[in-house]
Amino acid sequence: MKAFLAMVLCALALPAAAADTVKIALTGPYSGGSAPMGTSTRDGSKLAISEINAAGGIQVGDKKMKIEIVERDDEAKNERGALIAQELASMADLSGVIGSVNTGVVMAGDKHLQEKGITKIICPAAGSASMTQWAKPDGPKQLSIFRFAAHDGIQAAMVVEEAIKRGFTKVGVFYDSTNYGVSGRDDMLNQIKKQGDKLQVVASEKWNIGDKDMTAQLLKTKAAGAQAILIWGIGPELAAVANGMAKIGFKVPLIGGWPLSMANYIDNAGANGNGALMPQTFIEEPITPKAKAFIDAYHKAYGVTRIASPVAAAQGYDAVLIFAAAVKQAKSTDSVKIREALEDLKEPVNGVIAVWVKPYTKWDPSNVETHEAFRREQVVMGMVLDGRVVFANEADRARLAGQTK
Amino acid sequence: MPESIIAQMAVSGALMGLVYALVAYGFQLTFATSKSINFGQGELVMVSAFFSLTLINLGLPYLLVVPIGLLFGALVGLAVERTGVRLALEQKSEGWILLTIIIGLFLFSLAENLWGRDDRPFPTPIPSAPIRVLGVDVTPLEISVLVGVLAVMGLIELFKRRTLLGKAVEAVAADRDAAELMGISATRTIVLSYGLSGGVAALAGILVSPITTVGPTMAAALVLKAFSVAVVAGLESGFGVVVVGLFLGALESLASFYIGSGWREAPGLMLLILALAVRPTGVFGKAVIRKV
Amino acid sequence: MLKRLLLVRGSELALFLLLAAIPLLVQNTYALGLLTLLAIYGILLIGLDVTVGYLGQVNLAQAAFLGLGAYAAALGVTRFGVGIPVAILIAALLCTLLGALLALPALRLDGPQFALATLSFTALTTIFLNEFESLTQGAQGLSLSRPPLFGHLLTPRDFYWLCMGLLALVWMAMRNLLSSQWGRAFEALRDSPIATDAMGVGTYRHKVAGFALGSGLGGLAGALYAFNFQYLQPHAFVYELTVILLLGVVLGGRKSLWGAFVGASLVALLPNLLSNRFLFQAISGAGLALALFAGIRGLTRRTLRPFQAIAPIVATGTLVAGSFLARNTEDWRKAIFALMLFSVVVGLPEGLMGFAGGFLARLFRVAPPPLPAASPLDEALPPRPADGSVLLELRDLKRWFGGVRAVDGLTLLVRSGHVHGLIGPNGSGKSTVANVVSGLYTPTEGAMLLRGAPLPVGSLFRAARAGVARTFQNLQLFTGMTALENVMVALRGVYRVPLPLVLLGLGRPEERRAQADALALLEFVGLGDEPRTPAKDLTYGAQRFLEIARALARRPEVLILDEPAAGLARPDVVKQVEIIRRIQKRGITIVLIEHHMDVVTQLCDLVTALDGGKMIAEGTPDEVKRHPKVIEAYLGTESPADGAATMNPAPARG
Repeated sequence: MKAFLAMVLCALALPAAAADTVKIALTGPYSGGSAPMGTSTRDGSKLAISEINAAGGIQVGDKKMKIEIVERDDEAKNERGALIAQELASMADLSGVIGSVNTGVVMAGDKHLQEKGITKIICPAAGSASMTQWAKPDGPKQLSIFRFAAHDGIQAAMVVEEAIKRGFTKVGVFYDSTNYGVSGRDDMLNQIKKQGDKLQVVASEKWNIGDKDMTAQLLKTKAAGAQAILIWGIGPELAAVANGMAKIGFKVPLIGGWPLSMANYIDNAGANGNGALMPQTFIEEPITPKAKAFIDAYHKAYGVTRIASPVAAAQGYDAVLIFAAAVKQAKSTDSVKIREALEDLKEPVNGVIAVWVKPYTKWDPSNVETHEAFRREQVVMGMVLDGRVVFANEADRARLAGQTK
Repeated sequence: MPESIIAQMAVSGALMGLVYALVAYGFQLTFATSKSINFGQGELVMVSAFFSLTLINLGLPYLLVVPIGLLFGALVGLAVERTGVRLALEQKSEGWILLTIIIGLFLFSLAENLWGRDDRPFPTPIPSAPIRVLGVDVTPLEISVLVGVLAVMGLIELFKRRTLLGKAVEAVAADRDAAELMGISATRTIVLSYGLSGGVAALAGILVSPITTVGPTMAAALVLKAFSVAVVAGLESGFGVVVVGLFLGALESLASFYIGSGWREAPGLMLLILALAVRPTGVFGKAVIRKV
Repeated sequence: MLKRLLLVRGSELALFLLLAAIPLLVQNTYALGLLTLLAIYGILLIGLDVTVGYLGQVNLAQAAFLGLGAYAAALGVTRFGVGIPVAILIAALLCTLLGALLALPALRLDGPQFALATLSFTALTTIFLNEFESLTQGAQGLSLSRPPLFGHLLTPRDFYWLCMGLLALVWMAMRNLLSSQWGRAFEALRDSPIATDAMGVGTYRHKVAGFALGSGLGGLAGALYAFNFQYLQPHAFVYELTVILLLGVVLGGRKSLWGAFVGASLVALLPNLLSNRFLFQAISGAGLALALFAGIRGLTRRTLRPFQAIAPIVATGTLVAGSFLARNTEDWRKAIFALMLFSVVVGLPEGLMGFAGGFLARLFRVAPPPLPAASPLDEALPPRPADGSVLLELRDLKRWFGGVRAVDGLTLLVRSGHVHGLIGPNGSGKSTVANVVSGLYTPTEGAMLLRGAPLPVGSLFRAARAGVARTFQNLQLFTGMTALENVMVALRGVYRVPLPLVLLGLGRPEERRAQADALALLEFVGLGDEPRTPAKDLTYGAQRFLEIARALARRPEVLILDEPAAGLARPDVVKQVEIIRRIQKRGITIVLIEHHMDVVTQLCDLVTALDGGKMIAEGTPDEVKRHPKVIEAYLGTESPADGAATMNPAPARG
């Protein structure tokens, strides 16, 4: 009994607010099938934070404050996400949260943060529902949740465009049973309609996280005559699809959401994974000095030769830069003031992915784009080739390299 | 749907079902001598698979990795017996149920931290390009599963029937106390059975990894199905295990095709509950007479 | 009396008052959330403890019932717009029903097969919740908002009080249940399922009821879970959770409400425990100290095997080492839990509360409440008219085991008020007859009639209910209970209060009556001054007498005594004969299976001799003793070389 009380009191005991640091929470799945995205985001963010701290910190008013990190692994589990969000929401001196990969986790947890007005930048979770859940007629007038990722609305449009561009007329639609997969499927079907109904969906198949054997779904799709598969899922299962296709001799292109760039897809699919196409906000190629600096710094800091998820890492990095800019502008560590600054960033932010000029504006429930940073122009098509992700279109590489920054 | 697809699904499924049969066979080995099974057998499969993967990545040739992997599995099996089972058996309690669950949990956590939480591919010299046999595509990998399972079971059955040690195993299985009175060490026989069971699990891991990839969660689903097979076949019949395994594998495959991939496990589970309800000693097992 | 009341009830009251007061003292919503979770898990684990602790089975289905209850409540709110009380009711009732349905097949099994059946159920539930998207939204999850309670919107604090209130109610109800006949029945069926059935306390029905109750509590917890998180996903309710719950019950202490609570605290607070390294080091250090203490004490007193003493020390030692060396304790969460549990299961099987409870009991020696006076014997064991009419009839009874014909065509008439002896050499079929009549075996052929009506076959329970009571050749006492409790559990016609009222605590009066009746029966067999002695601590002779008292509690039509004098010393044999005489005086018909010829001679009105499953002689004891076939069966035929002295098969008198 007494031990239990002691435990409760210890757990409740909060450290006195350290008034001279900016406290930022990094959260995401650091274990499980989504872990490469989670850890890459975290590591990209940490890289930016260590660079900022090395330079003395963020200028908040008249003093420089270093960034203090709070790390939480949500294991891609929704109830963990809810608990973590509750915990973060009750932290007295938290300035903001950056992270989350899984749409379900966002759905379960973000409401606690919004309730307390804690500013969060969702990064890199792309499921549309993460933001559209706030865009209802009776939605909140003030929103402290932002997203820094190419959301599925953009990605689905690109996927469908690519399929039409390559001349396919019959496609199969594959998706996983989570929020991400299902809303991705909905986005794709929407886009097919929007782009003139030029694609006929001959098969619609789903799978569960953890499934290894996709033979049933693939045999049905092959029998229906699909020329390409539009796919929304995460790494391990995507690899199972690619390998399954090889096993039954069904070689058609896979075009889908950005998890096709994940290390655990590329490694597990091996040669069978080549040719997969997916939207990317960042390709791991040193085409600009800024990109090169980032890639080299990342490789050095974490002892790797390839970033597990380049998109997640670059987004995590740029998200911190943008957040820091907001803190500087707000001259405060208060989450509400930071939000206001974020909605009206005066100075452009020099990121790895792009130069960000006023990425966000004041929240308007009828227009979710006010809290979305990415537009179509910042996203390119990537392709898996021999263990890496490269530009699918030369034109894209040339365009981005030309923007010397 | 063309019959060839149904046949294809059934055959692929049946061959996977042999893996369940192999793991189930491991259950039989220990149940026969000690009336106990390792509830953490799935983790044993997984840990052996990871160990073998490490050896392969270190550059050891496949033909060497297999026996070393089996030995590793056997050693882990022995450890499970010593820490989780022996005490409970000595006290004639069923505490081994909980203890083997706990050991499995520990091994799972250990594997997560030593080898990471991701699924990894398992390189194998056996080619994966399918061959056409009687109208269905089978991969050499799947054939290797068939060969491995039958070989191991055949060897162990031979061992049980032809050698003196094998007879000892049968004796302890029949009546532990009487066997001890005849000078057979029940403990040593049980230790042997757990070692064999561990080796069999390791083989299952090595055979199935190239098909399913290696990861901490690889065996969780596998084990439940192996349980189904073991229970439906009865915890005493080696032949029954193969038959039920083939059947269950095919059933699952067809279920995933016709009903939906999410429902694939359902027939097996329902079969298990039904079998337990109707004939707890299994379709191939023998009824037990109570004595007061 | 007051001291005991104060100690037990007082501490519980203090606990709940403290828990209720916390939100008034502490403003942290996160902590409040954790404590709410603690209340929910408390209810969940109390339910799990019914099967794991009281029924002694490894139950792997509780996570599934949590999930089913949660979804039931959530769907009730989202689809049918019901309020919180109705949703909770739906969840609890649905899960009770499902639990009963699962229990019906599953509880025919024991040990590993039962565990497997519950495991399959959990897996099936997850699949069902995941795939039935039209109902449950599948993997995308089901959102709900907490409706107002009686028009009042619940703040987190209000909800916390609701959960704690329900936990308190569940606690009280369970306490009432477990101190009633139900609790005894659970204990009995753990100790000896065969005796439990033979005493007319249906093992099966109690197991099913217990399991259904535990599942219903799981459903109740599930409803609260749904209202707490307001977002449900199928993969929250999987095997991994069920293992953690199981381990919480074991760690906290089985068969103990406090144990379930302690276990729930651990499960709810464990993640936080681990993220604070210092706290973790402190606790694992304490664990190591405890393991060393218990291990060394066990080794020196030889109460523990070496492995039992050393393994927990190694495990807790590993925890301590890990607390210093591990880079991130969160990553090793499952291993840490496994090590903690391993230590407890091996070294401290009663769990933390079991250990602490024993410790505290020794510290605060509290006297148990006094027993009522014994009932008059006529109430506890009413006399019967003994008119010599045919009571039990066996017609050409056969029981074969494959090629072994244990009973091969036996016709027998037992008359009311008689002591009817059944003798024969080993293997003649005497015990098999007893086992067939009492329902352990089904007859292969032939009929059995009690007072002219067919006796139920093949079911110990139904035979007992029909009026057959027995003792066993190898004692089948309920070793975990006291002498009084052994008799109380078998009492017939005393327990009439239905289960729901027992939960409310309205079973007390009949408990007192039961104690009084049982006490009278103990006095009847000469054990009147040992009611509180644990059955396993009685002398062998006393144990035999106790089994008889227990059988008498059935107020049986016919009492079968299977070698009651086996292994007794001479003085106890004399006592045994006295007891049997007294039973006969009450008009109760007895079938006496015995080897002691002088016992048979002194007591029996009629004796039937068996050999090879067939009757070879019948008559008064003297007639049977001298019957040539009987002598031949026991001693073999005379060889011409031996003398012609009368062979008396009885053992030496003296």
